Amino acid sequence: MSLASTASLKDQPSMLARLFARQELALLVCLILVLAFFSVTVENFLSVRNLTNVLGQASLPLIAGIGCAVVFISGEVDISIGSLLATIALPLIIIMNDSNSLLLGVGGALLFGLIIGVVNGYLTAYAGINSLIVTLGTMFIMRGGVYLYTGQRAIPDDASLDSFIALSDGRLFNVIPYSAVIAIVLLAAFAYMMQHRPFGRQIYAVGGNQEVARLAGYDVRRVKFICFIISALLATVAGIILAARVGSAQHTAGLNFEFQVVAATVLGGVSLAGGIGSLSGMALGVLILQFLSNGLRGLGLPTEWQLVITGMIIIAAVAFDEAKRRRANGG
Amino acid sequence: MSELTHASAPRRSIGGQLLGSSQLVLGLILAALCIAISIAAPQFYSEANIIAILRQCALVLIVASGMTMLIITAEVDLSVGASLAFVGCIGMAVLNSTHSLALGMLAALAFSGGVGLFNGLVVTRLRVNSLIATIGTMMMLQGGVYLFTREAVQNHNRLVSFTDLGAGYVGAVPVPVILAALIFVIAYVTLRFTTLGRYLYAVGANEKAVRLSGLRSERLKLFAFVVTGLCVGVAGMILSSLMNAGQPTAGRGFELTVIAAVILGGTSLLGGRGSLFGTLLGVLVLKVIDNGIIILGWNQDLQMVVPGVVIILATYLDIIRNKANVR
Repeated sequence: MSLASTASLKDQPSMLARLFARQELALLVCLILVLAFFSVTVENFLSVRNLTNVLGQASLPLIAGIGCAVVFISGEVDISIGSLLATIALPLIIIMNDSNSLLLGVGGALLFGLIIGVVNGYLTAYAGINSLIVTLGTMFIMRGGVYLYTGQRAIPDDASLDSFIALSDGRLFNVIPYSAVIAIVLLAAFAYMMQHRPFGRQIYAVGGNQEVARLAGYDVRRVKFICFIISALLATVAGIILAARVGSAQHTAGLNFEFQVVAATVLGGVSLAGGIGSLSGMALGVLILQFLSNGLRGLGLPTEWQLVITGMIIIAAVAFDEAKRRRANGG
Repeated sequence: MSELTHASAPRRSIGGQLLGSSQLVLGLILAALCIAISIAAPQFYSEANIIAILRQCALVLIVASGMTMLIITAEVDLSVGASLAFVGCIGMAVLNSTHSLALGMLAALAFSGGVGLFNGLVVTRLRVNSLIATIGTMMMLQGGVYLFTREAVQNHNRLVSFTDLGAGYVGAVPVPVILAALIFVIAYVTLRFTTLGRYLYAVGANEKAVRLSGLRSERLKLFAFVVTGLCVGVAGMILSSLMNAGQPTAGRGFELTVIAAVILGGTSLLGGRGSLFGTLLGVLVLKVIDNGIIILGWNQDLQMVVPGVVIILATYLDIIRNKANVR
């Protein structure tokens, strides 16, 4: 990790960009290898139906992963997103049941998400508490709060609005799931922001070296604060799609989701040390893990083996990446 | 706190000298909690309840002792919960087939120590960030335990010595509490009074300096990982004795409780700072809260909410106190 952060200081931007390019190339090769392996071993793996299904499943970690990557790049972590999925489903479902309006429900959910982001961001950026502690705390508080409120029972979606159900099984042109469309649009927008907008550069600067960023006149606290809000709002979007998919507000929704997203993000080359990584890398990381678990299921392996193999691949991939980075730095 | 922080702190109150910096806040929180709960529910101070609290603390404290060492070296282990469940199943299976407590314990310690060694090697040799490495191990163990057994491994050995491990007493004190106290004291002495302990702090505070001064920092971190693993082995056997079965679903979220207790005790996630005494206080605070919620008859789901608030609040109070000290 220390090697990674010094690399970002020493290297020129162009060099850095080349490093990213190579990183993503390696990930892309990985993804193609995964696809190639399963297309030979699993029947119908490369069918449009299966590919778009995986894309739909990948949309949740993709959307939440954008926020996770943005927070990582700013040099912080957010592990409260799993509990957030369960939390924001409550206002969403309750308001929809009462008002029969998707818009009001989504608005209520986003408002809740915004408040959670503000709390996480304020406690980290302005109160100065370590973000792992803050989000560990809010993770407990939210999960416990959901248990308290629901009495550990699911709240079913009684409104059954067509527009809400379309979020789970609707497909654009009858091909691409709407959830995947949302994920792709958000990904493109945020990738543009990170690479081409001043605010994106500020996030990289703050995560790369906080002191330098401060001296350059950036408001470090504000940047981090906003990153947490971005993360919470994106997780909210993921939570809305999840609620549509299960058709209810589940108190157990999103258990261990944060680990899934963190693993995919790091696999995608986004450094926990801050300042390094890209959203396209994160997206490739998510896709590799999703296609892997889909393919393993296609091979008829039980879920347990999927967990074991995914765990091994995460360790191997990050280890490989570290080794490559060390070699690139000459030692 | 550690010698390192003591040296850097400009002024210290007498209380601050007696206890470490954050321990003072935590001690006050603990005292306030005990007073408040005992006013609302006098049975809080009954012998039975205090023994119940201590027994609850034992499991967490055993693993937290190792985890404190590990976090002081600036690493973390998220796989302890999954490992706890796996160890319980393996230990019970070996007990059932050998009818020997020694062999069962040995198998449990070998497995959990092996998990620690694996984590340590991945982190120190392959240079994988420990947060990610141990998420990976966690997944492998969670999957692995179901491949090992689909259902709980029941106790078929009926060994009295094994049942005593969780439910037995020496005098008035439960056996798990004695084991926890023993492990705590060993870890405390190691961290506080030995060169090895000082090296562990040094590795966490400045790994490069430690390496340049000729110490093998990897070895030290590896040691902390293995110790954490071994602690999980002991805790896993106690847990399976208490439940009278090896449960593959046990230990869900256990890693977060342990880490919360360690952090609450003032150990810095950045490494180099922290103390086992703080961890003891952290465990006590969390378990007294749990107990209070039960004996006050509150909704048990609050057992998740309140610790969350306490972790954030205690850390925040500590920051404020530090700022006041600097001024």
